[in-house]
Amino acid sequence: MGHPVLNVQSVTMAFGGLRAVDDVSFDVKPGEIVGLIGPNGAGKTTLFNVISGYLKPTQGRIFFHGDDITGKPPYDLAKIGIGRTFQIVKPFAGLSVLENVMVAVLLKHPSKKNAEANAHAVLEFTGLLDKAHMPASSLTLPGRKRLEIAKALALEPSLLLLDEVMAGLNPTEVKETTGLIQQVRDRGVTVLLIEHNMRVIMSLSHRVIVLNYGEKIAEGSPKEVAENPLVIKAYLGEEMAV
Amino acid sequence: MGRKFYASISVVVLLFLVVPLVVHDTFYLRVITEAIMWIGLAVTWDVLAGYTGYLNFGHGAFFGIGAYTTAILMVHKGWPFFAASIAGGAMAGLGALIAGIPTLRLRGAYFAIATWALARAIQQLALILDITGGPDGMRLPPFLQPGFFFYVMGGTVLIIFIVFWYLFEVHPFGLKVKAIRENEDGAMAMGLNPARIKIKVFIISAVPTGIIGGIYAYWITYIDPSSTLGDLVTDQAVVMAVFGGLGTLIGPAIGALIISTFKTYFWAYLSDYQVLYLIILGGLIALSVVFMPDGLWGTVYGKIQNARLAGSKEKR
Amino acid sequence: MLQLLPQAIVDGILIGGIYITVAIGFSLAYGVMHVIDFAVGEWIMLGAFMGFYLNRWLGLEPILLFPVIFLSFFVVGLWIQPLIHRVLSGRRGNPVLMGLVFTFGLALMIRGIALTVFGFYSHSIPSSLAQGSLFFQVGPIFVTIPLIRLTGLGYAVLVTMGLYYILHRTDFGLAVRALAQHKEAAGLMGVNARRTGGHVYGLYTGISATTGALIGCIFSISAQMGPDYTIFAFFVVVLAGMGYLPGVPWAAFLLGFVQSFFLIYLSPSYTMLAVFAALYLILLISPKGIFGKGV
Ligand SMILES: Nc1ncnc2c1ncn2[C@@H]1O[C@H](COP(=O)(O)OP(=O)(O)O)[C@@H](O)[C@H]1O
Ligand SMILES: [Mg+2]
Repeated sequence: MGHPVLNVQSVTMAFGGLRAVDDVSFDVKPGEIVGLIGPNGAGKTTLFNVISGYLKPTQGRIFFHGDDITGKPPYDLAKIGIGRTFQIVKPFAGLSVLENVMVAVLLKHPSKKNAEANAHAVLEFTGLLDKAHMPASSLTLPGRKRLEIAKALALEPSLLLLDEVMAGLNPTEVKETTGLIQQVRDRGVTVLLIEHNMRVIMSLSHRVIVLNYGEKIAEGSPKEVAENPLVIKAYLGEEMAV
Repeated sequence: MGRKFYASISVVVLLFLVVPLVVHDTFYLRVITEAIMWIGLAVTWDVLAGYTGYLNFGHGAFFGIGAYTTAILMVHKGWPFFAASIAGGAMAGLGALIAGIPTLRLRGAYFAIATWALARAIQQLALILDITGGPDGMRLPPFLQPGFFFYVMGGTVLIIFIVFWYLFEVHPFGLKVKAIRENEDGAMAMGLNPARIKIKVFIISAVPTGIIGGIYAYWITYIDPSSTLGDLVTDQAVVMAVFGGLGTLIGPAIGALIISTFKTYFWAYLSDYQVLYLIILGGLIALSVVFMPDGLWGTVYGKIQNARLAGSKEKR
Repeated sequence: MLQLLPQAIVDGILIGGIYITVAIGFSLAYGVMHVIDFAVGEWIMLGAFMGFYLNRWLGLEPILLFPVIFLSFFVVGLWIQPLIHRVLSGRRGNPVLMGLVFTFGLALMIRGIALTVFGFYSHSIPSSLAQGSLFFQVGPIFVTIPLIRLTGLGYAVLVTMGLYYILHRTDFGLAVRALAQHKEAAGLMGVNARRTGGHVYGLYTGISATTGALIGCIFSISAQMGPDYTIFAFFVVVLAGMGYLPGVPWAAFLLGFVQSFFLIYLSPSYTMLAVFAALYLILLISPKGIFGKGV
C-alpha cells in the first residue's frame, strides 16, 4: 500500500576507483513505465545489475514494494517479482526456445503440464511460437532479444527491467516491441526501461531518468528531459537517434 | 519416445532376468556383474559432469565411503546387508553435501581439485583409523551367491538409470539443471539458485555411487584402502564416461561396457603388465578429448543425425 | 618440546622453499592458460628421474644438471602445449571441461609410463651437498640446517626472482601479463597467444622438472610420487589465489610450517589430513585465496 514498486536510495557502485553508479536515488510507482537513458558507459546496466542482485552496491539501499532487498541474490529477487533482460543476451543456447521459456515459467508453475501451456501462451504473446522447437542458438539477434523479453515475462514479474531490448532491431521490429511493452504495462506490470532510441523513450515512458558518468543528472517527463540543457550537453557528440 | 522407451526397458529387464539362467559359468557371471557395476559408476559420474559441467575427480571416494560404511555396519554393528548398503549411500550423499558446499559455488577448476584432494584425504583416513582396519582393510561375512549379486547389482543400476532418466530428461528438474549448465547468470534471473541445484545433482550422483560401493563390498567380501579407495575407480569411471560421451546417459553406459570388456581380456592375458593399463586409460582419455570431444556415442549419434538430415533433404 | 621450536620454524622455511618451486610455475601456467594441469606432480617426477639417471650415468653433481633438465622439459612443454591449446579452443563439447579432462588423462598416462619404465622402487639422487650441515647452538637450543636444503631454498629464491625479472622487465613478460589479464585485448595488441602460451608452459614444465631433481637430492623419488606433489601444488595455489604469483611464496611457507610442525609435534601420518583440512577451510572461508586476488 502506498509504497513505490521500486525505491532506490543513494546507491553507489564503485569498481576500484571507478564510480559506475554514483549516489543515485529514484522511485518507480506502480503501473509506470520509466525510461533510463544516458550515454554509453553512463552506468545504466550497472544500475540494473545492482537492482536485480547481480552486484552488491558499495553504498545505498534498494526497496521493492517497501521491503529492503539490498544485497539479496538474483534468484530470490526473481522469486519475489523482479524480472530482467540482459543487454548482452543470455539464452540457454543448447535448449529449444520453448524450453528456455519453460525454465522461467517453472518459477510460478512448477508442474510440467501447466508450465508447457503457460510457455506456449508467452511464446504466442511475444510472437515466437513458430520458433518454439528451434534451438535457441539458431535465433538471430532480434529473435534473441525477443526471447529475453519472453523469459522475463514468463516469470510473471511485478517489475520488469528491460536493458536495450530494441538495439539492433529494424523499425518494424521496434514498433512491434514497443507495442509489446505497452501491452505488458496494461497487464499491470511496472517497467523500467533502458533505451537509446529516443523516439521509443518519448512514446513509451511516463517519466525519464538520465544518468551521466554514474550520476543522475535529470529526471522528469520525456519533454522536460529532452529540453534540459544538462542532458543535451551530456549527449553532445553522441548520436541521438530521433 | 514414450512407447519406444518402455519397450526397450522391457527388453533390457527380460534379458537381465534370464542371464543367470543361461550363463552358468561363474566367471562370466562375475564379468557381467562387474560390467554392470561400471555402467553404474560411469553414469553416476556423468550426471554431474555432463549435466552441470563439474568434474568430480574423487568419484572413487564416494564408492569407497559406501563400501566402508556397509562393511563397518555389517561387521561391527551386525546390520543386514540391504540396510547397510542404503546407509552407505546416505553417507556418500552426506560426503557430497559437505564437499559440495564450499566448492560448487566456485568455478569448476576448484571443484576438480577439491574432489581429487578429498579422495586422497578419505584414503588417508581409512589408512589410519582403527574402525576401518587401517592398511589391512576389512573382511565382510562371505555370501557366495554370484546370482544374488548379479540381480542386486543389475537391479540397482537399472533403477539408477530409470531414475536418472526421469529426473534429467522428463522432470522439470532436468531442465533447470541444463539451464544452469548453459548459462549460470541467465539461470539466476529465472529464479534458480545454481549452488543449491548443483549440490542436489552432486548428492544425486553420490548416493547411488555409495550404494554400488556397498554392494561391491559385500560381493567381493574384502576391501582395503588401496583397492577400494585408490584412484583406479575414479580413473576408470572418467575414461568410460569421456570415451562414451559426456552429457548423455547412453554414452557413458556404452563406454563402460566397452572398456570393462576390454579390461577383462586385458587382465586375463596381460596381468603381468598391470601398469600398461594406466597408460591405456590415460591415453584413451587424452586422445578422446583431442580427437573425439563428443565421445563415441556423441560422434556416432551426430553422424546418424547428419545422415538423416541429408537423407530427408535429398527426398525433397 | 619447546627447544624444538626453532628447528621446526627453520625446517618450515626450508621445506616451504621447495613448495615455492613446486607451485610457482603451475600458478603461472594457470594464470595464462586457465587450465589446471593435473600433471604438475608428474613433471616433477619425470624431472627427478632424469636427474637420477643423468647423475648415475655421468656422475655429475645433480645441481649442475639443472640447466639440462630445465631445457629438456622446456622443449617437452613447448611440444605439449599446442595439444592443450587445441583442446581449449575446440568448438564442440565444453572446451574448459575438456582441458581439465585432458590434463587428468595426461597425468595418468605419464604415471603409467613411468611405472612401466622406472618400476615401483624408491631412489634418491646422491649429491655432495647432502653430507654437509650447518649447526647453530644457543644454550639448550640447537638448529641444524642441511646444506642441500639451504641450496633448495636458494634455488627457490633464484627461480622467484628470475620469474619476477622475466615478467616485469622483458617484452615476453609484458605479453604474458597481458594474456593473463585479458585474452582478447592481448590478441589485439599483437600478442601471439599460442606462442606465448607455449613458452609459459615450457617455463612451467622446466621449473617443475628441476624441482623434481632437487626433491630427489633432499627426499626420495619414485614413479608414484607425482600425486602428492600435485596436491601440494594445488594447496599452495588455492591458498595463494589461483594464478596470483605474489601469493605463492607465503602460501608455500605456510604449507612448509604445517608440515614441519606436524612432523615434529604430531604424527606425520596426520600431515596430509591437516593439509586437506586446511584446503577445505580455505575454500569454505576465502575461496579466492588469502590475498583475495585469485581469478
Ligand atoms: N564488473 C565491472 N567491473 C569493472 N568495471 C565495470 C564493471 N561493469 C561495468 N563497469 C564499468 O562501469 C561503467 C558503466 O558501465 P555500464 O553500466 O555497462 O554502462 P551503460 O550500460 O550505461 O552503457 C563503464 O565504465 C564500465 O566499464
Ligand atoms: Mg548497458
